[in-house]
Amino acid sequence: MSHVVSVAAIGLLCPAGVGEEGATGGRPGEVPGFRARAYVVNRKNLKLMSRAVKLGVSGIRLALAQVEDWEQVPPERRGMFVGSTPLGGEVGDLSPALHVSSDDKGKVDLQAFATQGYPLIHPLWLVKGLSNNVLGFASAAHNFQGVNGNYCDGAASGANALREGWAAVSEGRADLVVAGAADSLVGLEALIPGHKAGEGSAFFVLRPVENAAPGSVVLRRGEGHLEAEESTLGYLGAAGEVVSLARAAMRGDLPAGLAQHGLYLSLA
Amino acid sequence: MSDSHRGVVVTGLGVLTAFGRGVAPLAEGLRQGQSALAPLTAFAPQGLEIGMAAQVGVPLAIPEGFQDDRKAALALQAAEDAVGGADMSQAGVYLGTGLSSVTPLELYQDAAPYRSKGGFDRQALHRDLSPDHVAPGRHLPERTTALLARSIGANGPQMTSFSACAAGALAIAHATRAIRRGEIDRALAGGMDAMIHPLGVLSFLVLGALSPGTCRPFDRNREGFVIGEGAAMLLLESEELARARGAHILARVLGGGSSVDAHNVTAPHPEGKGAELSMRRAMKEAGLVRVDHVNAHGTGTPLGDRAEAAAIARVLGPEVPVSSIKGAIGHCIAAAGAVEAAACIAALAQGWSPGTAGLEDPEDLGINAQAEPQQDHPQTILSNSFGFGGQNTSLIFGRA
Repeated sequence: MSHVVSVAAIGLLCPAGVGEEGATGGRPGEVPGFRARAYVVNRKNLKLMSRAVKLGVSGIRLALAQVEDWEQVPPERRGMFVGSTPLGGEVGDLSPALHVSSDDKGKVDLQAFATQGYPLIHPLWLVKGLSNNVLGFASAAHNFQGVNGNYCDGAASGANALREGWAAVSEGRADLVVAGAADSLVGLEALIPGHKAGEGSAFFVLRPVENAAPGSVVLRRGEGHLEAEESTLGYLGAAGEVVSLARAAMRGDLPAGLAQHGLYLSLA
Repeated sequence: MSDSHRGVVVTGLGVLTAFGRGVAPLAEGLRQGQSALAPLTAFAPQGLEIGMAAQVGVPLAIPEGFQDDRKAALALQAAEDAVGGADMSQAGVYLGTGLSSVTPLELYQDAAPYRSKGGFDRQALHRDLSPDHVAPGRHLPERTTALLARSIGANGPQMTSFSACAAGALAIAHATRAIRRGEIDRALAGGMDAMIHPLGVLSFLVLGALSPGTCRPFDRNREGFVIGEGAAMLLLESEELARARGAHILARVLGGGSSVDAHNVTAPHPEGKGAELSMRRAMKEAGLVRVDHVNAHGTGTPLGDRAEAAAIARVLGPEVPVSSIKGAIGHCIAAAGAVEAAACIAALAQGWSPGTAGLEDPEDLGINAQAEPQQDHPQTILSNSFGFGGQNTSLIFGRA
């Protein structure tokens, strides 16, 4: 078992920009000019995706687009590990049903909720709120059938995903893994006192180190450090640590690591 | 550092199901072929096409700061029961969880001030959001993982698996691998869920997944699942460590496999290809070519049971006994994989295999669906858990 895994590509969308542009400069807020339609092939799915899910699916597509031969890896050997946010559902989607079933004093009439509110709820309301929607939609879009995981661990979500992706490749359970995270906190500034809100998506394509060219960036097991970038990008929630790592890798600021998870980037 | 062949064993179990608190009532109920499904009483199902549920009836201690969160109460109770006196200071906590247990009333409290002409004033909500107002805390699953870690004094890694109905099983698989690779020696792993509230029920009703009557896995007349709730936590540790401290070993974790359908976020692959891959991976990891029993995901939905049966037949043949306990304890959603793992462990330890409550007229699906429990002394049981998003997990447990 090799403890070294090569980074074949990184798909990065963050307030600083998309792709390599995202590794330069920085500012809190939205990903500039982000249009999910540019990345999501099945447009019908867009209405079932929150903004965070759209960012995640887009980051994965952006990453894979940089790996010419990824489709040569058998689908069952392609793994996917995603750090995500649990806030996938939209409370507002339930508002019409709540409106017809509650009085002005805040009391909900369950019978009215069932009989009058029920028809007003979108049949796929539950589906729209699933936290593993990045994994669900992206795996279907790119035919990833292999090992997988979806993690909701706050700001550590992306790091957990990256760690499990690294483990899957290093233990030989996958020949290609997409691992990373996405989140969108724009508009939710009041929930994160002391920070400015941002959004972001960063996904690493990981492969066995045997396939890496000399001088490639690799992900190793060991102690490392992480440069916090909240001051330049805003608080990115589930995606924060992995976006920071992606930016470090794309800028060549090596090694940079996920100290609590024992992983760091270096050159092969 | 790493020894991927390190043995992993189960030395503790904490379970809450509709049969009650603890593994004993669950095991006894299943061994007797009973069903804990009962008329829904958690709320009045006025106007809803639902009559049955599998509710946990025992009183729960509500953790401080988790007043709205039934799931957390279930998980905490299960965790404390599982750990016993084991030293958890270096242990990891791996928790599978599902959608928030927010109720319509709570949603109303969050949303009502922002109603606007029958719609919703999103800008006003965002303007007023604060930790003390609209309560996002109750939607955050990782805080329960942290609660469990605090309560048992675990300082190791924490992971919250949010993988729909595969979440509990996947959490166990992750913890097992962390022990195998030597990252940790001991872990608390399992799942929790509590969706027997109007919004939870509505969410599945609008998808057409709930049965208006009872749950009949693999039956010609199956119409869907009955919603359940519960939690199960397993104390996992390296076999070497368990033996050194003289712990009673309940079962061995022989293997785990996962896959994605890559097909549809709600419907299973019609041929069960993802389920097949998940089971094959678990068999390979366990180094087995056969198992003595399959605890199927078996929700009782027409499509799901057919796809899973086809996959089981391809991987293990038509003769292996197959059952689903969802006719007895309902579908515990994110907790299902962990609760059913607990049932498998109890069956292995006591020498029986479960039947399928509700199965009266088996459809010919090419498998050996077992309606009644058997005293057949299984040595190995494979347990399947499949979730929305297409995530599949299979676990294999062996007799200690």
